[in-house]
Amino acid sequence: MPAAVNTAVYPVDVAGVGPVEVSVAEYGSGQPFLLLHGGAGPQSVTGFAERFAAAHDVRVLVPTHPGFGGTPRPEALRSIPGLAALYNALLDQLDLQDVTVIGNSIGGWITAQIALLKSPRVSGIVLIDAVGIEVPGHPVADFFSLTMDEVFQRSFHNPEPFRVDPATLPSAAQAIAAGNRAAISVYAGATMTDPALAGRLGTLEVPTLVLWGDSDGIVDVDYGRAYAAAIPMARFQLLVETGHSPQQETPDQVIRAIWDSAETDFAAFAR
Amino acid sequence: MSKTAVTRITHSCHLIEIGGRTFLTDPWFSTRPGYYQGEPIAAGIADLPRLDGVLITHEHYDHCDLDAFAAYRDHSVPLFTAETVVDVARKHGFTDVTALAPWQEAEAGGVTITATPAKHGVYEVTFVLRSGPEAVYFAGDTMLIPELSEIPQRLGHISLALLPTNGLHIRPANNMQVVMNAQEAADLTAILKPELAIPHHYAFTKGFLGDRLITSSDKNPQRYQDASRDVAPGTSVRIVQPGTRVEL
Repeated sequence: MPAAVNTAVYPVDVAGVGPVEVSVAEYGSGQPFLLLHGGAGPQSVTGFAERFAAAHDVRVLVPTHPGFGGTPRPEALRSIPGLAALYNALLDQLDLQDVTVIGNSIGGWITAQIALLKSPRVSGIVLIDAVGIEVPGHPVADFFSLTMDEVFQRSFHNPEPFRVDPATLPSAAQAIAAGNRAAISVYAGATMTDPALAGRLGTLEVPTLVLWGDSDGIVDVDYGRAYAAAIPMARFQLLVETGHSPQQETPDQVIRAIWDSAETDFAAFAR
Repeated sequence: MSKTAVTRITHSCHLIEIGGRTFLTDPWFSTRPGYYQGEPIAAGIADLPRLDGVLITHEHYDHCDLDAFAAYRDHSVPLFTAETVVDVARKHGFTDVTALAPWQEAEAGGVTITATPAKHGVYEVTFVLRSGPEAVYFAGDTMLIPELSEIPQRLGHISLALLPTNGLHIRPANNMQVVMNAQEAADLTAILKPELAIPHHYAFTKGFLGDRLITSSDKNPQRYQDASRDVAPGTSVRIVQPGTRVEL
C-alpha cells in the first residue's frame, strides 16, 4: 500500500533570498527524514521514500528543489547554500526535531551545506554519492558534455532497467527535463564543486554516514572516501553492484545501511 | 537547619542545596547537532537562583556549556573545576575559578568541596560537597574505578549520591566504554551507602543516526534501580524527572 500522505506547497521566507514556495511530498509517519534529490529530479527519490516509509516508522519529506519538476524558481535562489538556507528554514517552520537529512548527488551537496548551518534540528546526515567537494585527480564527470545515454551508463551499475530515450518522452516531460538541466546549471555550475567546501566540512560534529555505489561513474569511490575523510567521525560504506543513484538501483541496500548502521562493520570498507 | 536537597535540571546538571548554600553542577542549557538531553531542561539561565558555587567535572560540551552559562548574571560566582576547564572558564569571563585535583578541597560559604577521582574519555574529577553530617557525591559521568572506594574512608559518610548509569560506549573508538553502567553504579552505591541515590546521564541521545554510528548507551534508569535493590538495599534510589526538588 502506498505510504504517500500528501504533497503541500510551503511558503518559506529565506534570509538573503526572500519568499520561496517549495513543494514537499510527505511519506509515512514517525522518525523524521528530509530526503533531497539530485539533478535527476524528485522522481529519482520518491520511490525510495515510499519504500522506506513502508518498511519503517519514518516520516520522509521530499521537497522538489525550486526549478526542478516544472516548479518555479525565484531569481534570487541560485546557489547550493541558498537551497540549504531554504531547507533549514523549512525545518524551523515545521518545528521538526532529530531530523536526519539524506541527499543524493547534488542533494548530497545541499545536505553537507545544511550541516554547515549547524541547526540543532539536524541530528545526522547521510551523503549518497554526493558531489560538491574538489578531489584532485577525481573530477566530477562533466554532466553537460555527456549524452543522456552516457549519463545512464555512468549512473547505474546496470543501466538497462532505467534507460529512457528522451526523444520518446511527451513534450511536457521534455520541457521538465530541460528545466531540470537549467536548474542544475544555476545551482551547481558546470564543475559541480565548491573548492572551499571540503575545508569547511572539517568543522562538523554531526553524525555522518557516507554511502557510495561501487560502480558510480559520475563520482568515483575514491572521491567518496575523500568526502568521508573531510568530515570528522564520518563513517563510509560501499554499496555493491550500485551506481550513482543507489536509492533507485539498490534501495533496500540503502535502507539497511541507514537503519541497521549500528551493526555495520565500517572497518570492512576502510583501506 | 536548612535541608539538603537536589533539583535535577537535566542530564548531569543539578541544583544542590546543602548547608544553606546552593551549587550548580555541570551546566548544560543548549543543544547542538548530535547532542540532545533526551529530557526537558527544567530551568533556563535566567531562572537560576543565586548560586554559591558551580562544579564542573570536565570540558565536554554536555557538562561544560559555558557558551550558554556565560549568560549567568554574576561572573564572580566561584567555579570549582577540573584543571582542564580553568582556561575556558576564564575566557568566558568567569573571574573566580579554582582547579581542584583529586582529594584537594576548597570551601564556599561553610560548605567543603572536595574533588574526587574519575575516569572518562578525557581528564575528569568528581566532587563531594559536605556540610556537617551531610554530604553529597556528584559523579559527573565517570567510570567506576577502584579509587572511588576510598571516598567513605577519606571523606566520611555520603548522604546523597548523584550517579551516571548509561554505560556510554563510543563505537568508533573500538566501542570503548567511558561511563559507568547500571550495575557498576549500583556497585558504587553499595560502596558509598548513601541514604538516597539519584541516577542521571541516562536520557542523553546523539539522535537517530548518532545513536547508531557514534554512541551506544542504556537509556533506562530502572536497571540501576533494580540492580541497587540487590546490592545496596539500604539505599533508596529515586528516578527523578527534571524540575523535581528532592529533599534528603
